[in-house]
Amino acid sequence: MASRTVAKDIITLRGSAAIVSEFFGYAANSILYNRGVYPEESFAKVKKYGLPMLLTQDEGVKSFITNLTAQLSENEIVGKEWLEAGKLQRVVMVIMSKATKEVLERWNFSIETDSDVVEKGVSREKSDREIMREIQAIMRQIASSITYLPCLDEPCVFDVLAYTDTDVPVPFTWIESDPKLIANPQMVKLHSFDTKIHKVDTLVSYKNDEWDEQ
Amino acid sequence: MDLDKAHTLLTSKTPQFNTSSNFNQAYRQKLIENLSLDSQGRPFKIMVFRGSPKSSRKSIRFVDELRQEVAAIFEKDCKQTPYRCIPKGEKRVLDAPRLRNDYYSNIMSWGMNNMLAVALGHELYLWNSEDQAVHKLLQVRGGNDWPTSVTWSEDARTLAVGYMCSNLQLWDVESSKLIRSLQGHSGRIASTAWNGHILTSGSRDKSIINHDVRAANSLASCIKRHADEVCGLKWSTEGNRLASGGNENLLYIWEASKMSSSKFLHRLSDHCAAVKALAWCPYQNNVLASGGGLSDGCIKIWNTEKGICINNIETKAQICGLEWNRHHKEILSGHGYSIRENQNKLCLWRYPSMTKVGELGNHKSRIINLCQSPDGITVISAGADETLRFWDVFGPPTAGAGNSMVSDLQGLLSFRTSLLR
Repeated sequence: MASRTVAKDIITLRGSAAIVSEFFGYAANSILYNRGVYPEESFAKVKKYGLPMLLTQDEGVKSFITNLTAQLSENEIVGKEWLEAGKLQRVVMVIMSKATKEVLERWNFSIETDSDVVEKGVSREKSDREIMREIQAIMRQIASSITYLPCLDEPCVFDVLAYTDTDVPVPFTWIESDPKLIANPQMVKLHSFDTKIHKVDTLVSYKNDEWDEQ
Repeated sequence: MDLDKAHTLLTSKTPQFNTSSNFNQAYRQKLIENLSLDSQGRPFKIMVFRGSPKSSRKSIRFVDELRQEVAAIFEKDCKQTPYRCIPKGEKRVLDAPRLRNDYYSNIMSWGMNNMLAVALGHELYLWNSEDQAVHKLLQVRGGNDWPTSVTWSEDARTLAVGYMCSNLQLWDVESSKLIRSLQGHSGRIASTAWNGHILTSGSRDKSIINHDVRAANSLASCIKRHADEVCGLKWSTEGNRLASGGNENLLYIWEASKMSSSKFLHRLSDHCAAVKALAWCPYQNNVLASGGGLSDGCIKIWNTEKGICINNIETKAQICGLEWNRHHKEILSGHGYSIRENQNKLCLWRYPSMTKVGELGNHKSRIINLCQSPDGITVISAGADETLRFWDVFGPPTAGAGNSMVSDLQGLLSFRTSLLR
């Protein structure tokens, strides 16, 4: 896209954290929908990022994701939430076989926080529309990932992991975990988006499909 | 999709991140070896989200599982053609003052003559279900003795009454006269069961006695196998097998022809508490249901031919009685004490799946005995709260649906049944 001078918006640390946690909520829903972890009928369309985004209507999943994103952006218990304190390094959505608990897919969202902003409380400038376009690109990529990701043709469950700094106390809605890695995965790097305060990279790694030629 | 871009993305190497100097070389090395994803070079800890503390996390289901559930509900709706409705409340409540709160007694029996015989304390009453007339049959003088077991003979001509002091009496109810007293036991008679002219009694003295009530010397056989009080006794519908349950948690199956030699057919030790509740299945030969006491709480379905347990349900409550539904394939359990569920309740289970159809019960304290009406529609529960509660839970009778039990019954009785209004 040709760059042109666009009016820039002020991004604060809090605003950026909100953008990131909101992104994660929509991305999680999109993954659940596109990977067929939940039936298509249980999703409803909403307009977001200039795209028709699908959100789950299943009460259990809905509250799970809502609570999760609230945790990332607003943690009353911890005091200063992870994104704002720059203590959240990654959020990983892990898709596992329900029967064997084997990890089949890992959606890794790495977060780089501008430490200057965290320490000094400055704000940055970037066009909101620009950020939205970047996110839109990632969402499109998630949707099109089904063209190369192996079929998940068994019942699956998902988990969400958070990689944080070691000094972060574990809230009681989380428990310490292993990384739930895939042995010998295939990896695909997706687009990233940058609010100038938080930079989020997306990577999906998946279990080698037996049919792949190696 | 931009194929060129996609190709680049798929084949390009992932960028290196900045590494921080305070990062342990060996640890980093290990990370790079172990992790298939690049770390940011910072030490981290990983945690997994467990959900909100306020709401419980529902289990995550997959497409097919959800569709299976929908299909199952649909199937259930289709199969449920006769509308199965469990009454919410009792049809009737009778006051039962001084009803003894004793798990081991079997103080209630509903005869084919539509008379309910129930022992309350030292007295024994007859309640006519047709006109609700109450008639006191007997009263025991002296404080140390009382009826502990009451059973109508199959033709309801004779009422067998077993006592605390080991006496066993036969009463003719029409004339309200004592016919004879049978001796043999040395301990209280907790359970009695009729098989034609044979009256079997089980006692705290651990023995089972078969009386032939026609003979002058009635004692036909005495079986000493149980190691504790015999609190459950039931003859099978054909009269070929007897099930006896003891306080030592054992269940014995006896062949009628071989009882005199004390040789049991099966000795079943699966229960972990007293086996008082016994009921033979009306639609399958040789299938028996047994219920365990407080530490057990299991309903076990047995194939008495082979002596194997074919089903087991944990009700988590003391079981004091079991009654099969002759009109629908169900079994009802009556419960006493429980730490968790089903306390003082009656639970209805579908057979043979043993899924719970529902539960009922308003008893304020534990249920002690169950019995059912001759027409198989009503069940009475006798509770320690000194009430007898009538539940029309087994009906409605299926319209002539090849249920031979019902048609036999209607052939037997010359008067109309179930005038419980």
